[in-house]
Amino acid sequence: MHISEGVLSAPVLLTGGALTVMGTAIGLKKLDYDRLPQVAVLSATFFVASLIHIPVGPSSVHLILNGLMGLFLGWIAFPVVLVALALQAVLFQFGGLTALGVNTLNMALPAVVCYYVLGALARGDNFNLSMLASFLAGAGAIFMSSLGMASALVFTGESFWPVAKLIVFAHIPVMILEGIIVAVCVQFLKKVRPEMLDAVYVK
Amino acid sequence: MSNKKGPSEHRGNGFKLLALLAPLLLVGSPALAHRVNIFAWVEGDTVYTESYFSGGKKVRNGLVEVFDLAGKKLLQGRTNEKGEFSFKFPQKSSLHIVLTASMGHRSEFTLRAEEPSEELAGSARQEAAATARAQTPALVDLEQIRAVVEETLDARLKPISRTLAEMQKPRGPSLTEIIGGLGYIFGIMGLIMYFRSRKKTEQGPSH
Repeated sequence: MHISEGVLSAPVLLTGGALTVMGTAIGLKKLDYDRLPQVAVLSATFFVASLIHIPVGPSSVHLILNGLMGLFLGWIAFPVVLVALALQAVLFQFGGLTALGVNTLNMALPAVVCYYVLGALARGDNFNLSMLASFLAGAGAIFMSSLGMASALVFTGESFWPVAKLIVFAHIPVMILEGIIVAVCVQFLKKVRPEMLDAVYVK
Repeated sequence: MSNKKGPSEHRGNGFKLLALLAPLLLVGSPALAHRVNIFAWVEGDTVYTESYFSGGKKVRNGLVEVFDLAGKKLLQGRTNEKGEFSFKFPQKSSLHIVLTASMGHRSEFTLRAEEPSEELAGSARQEAAATARAQTPALVDLEQIRAVVEETLDARLKPISRTLAEMQKPRGPSLTEIIGGLGYIFGIMGLIMYFRSRKKTEQGPSH
């Protein structure tokens, strides 16, 4: 899900950057600093998840886990994704620093949407609804990220159209996989550490 | 930017084609790669390029565009199944090679002029030798020796230039780097907590 440097046009990069700055500011404002370790753990999870490739058939996929982050973090997903992606850009040249804003936006905004749309249901007591909501958060976050990436590429030049369409198709295996993982994670944490699911917002 | 211009797209047909190809792409797509790299080297008067996604997966049907250093587009082509694309030297200067792979992946490689001019010098020397030969028939042997030596050198150097390209092949991030990244994240956490706690003690516990 990383867009390389030099692919996107300046207006797209600037818009992405500006929106990411805004999202990060909101996230930092909402952060309850006493729960910073939990935020750092989720940032580390996100950082590592996308580096470990899991073989699926002849190809391999990696997790992104922005849906999981969204359910736990809401707006705080922005600073968390920004830190992890900045490190990936600097250490591994994934994406690159100029595309950092757009890449962060593509992965963090779906997380925020998941938080508001599905967060309450996923935390709720109804087991079936909670399973469904967390699966949808995992799969939906990837779907929205794919759409975000596609639209970033589409704005850049019309010749990207067919390629952009493909992104959504290509990510279908990841959507299913992440949906299952998020559902399992949420159920597990609800049993073992229910307090982790309380949003880390300032009360 | 001239390098963004792809070949003209047939959108209507493209969509139909996509619908047909989508299952294939699900199987073999490197869509989730992080980075793409292109490498180029010279053999004789031909430039060979190889393109990989991070992790070593080959770039199939990636668009390769060749520019001179002034930014003028000289030629373009697509990588084959093995991620390779080769072309004859369009002109004797440094080349700027740009690879555009699927889904926002892009990489560049600059081929320095030294490598092609080496070849040029070689052929100039051969010509000089040929004239010398015409003037003095006794030098026939020298000319043959030169040809044989060059042939042998070429054969010997081929694996080396291949190895060099191999060595630059991207690999996935190593465990050390991943752990380093984790260290940064927890380091940042520690720093923020440190400064927060100092602020708190300065302002007193009432805050």
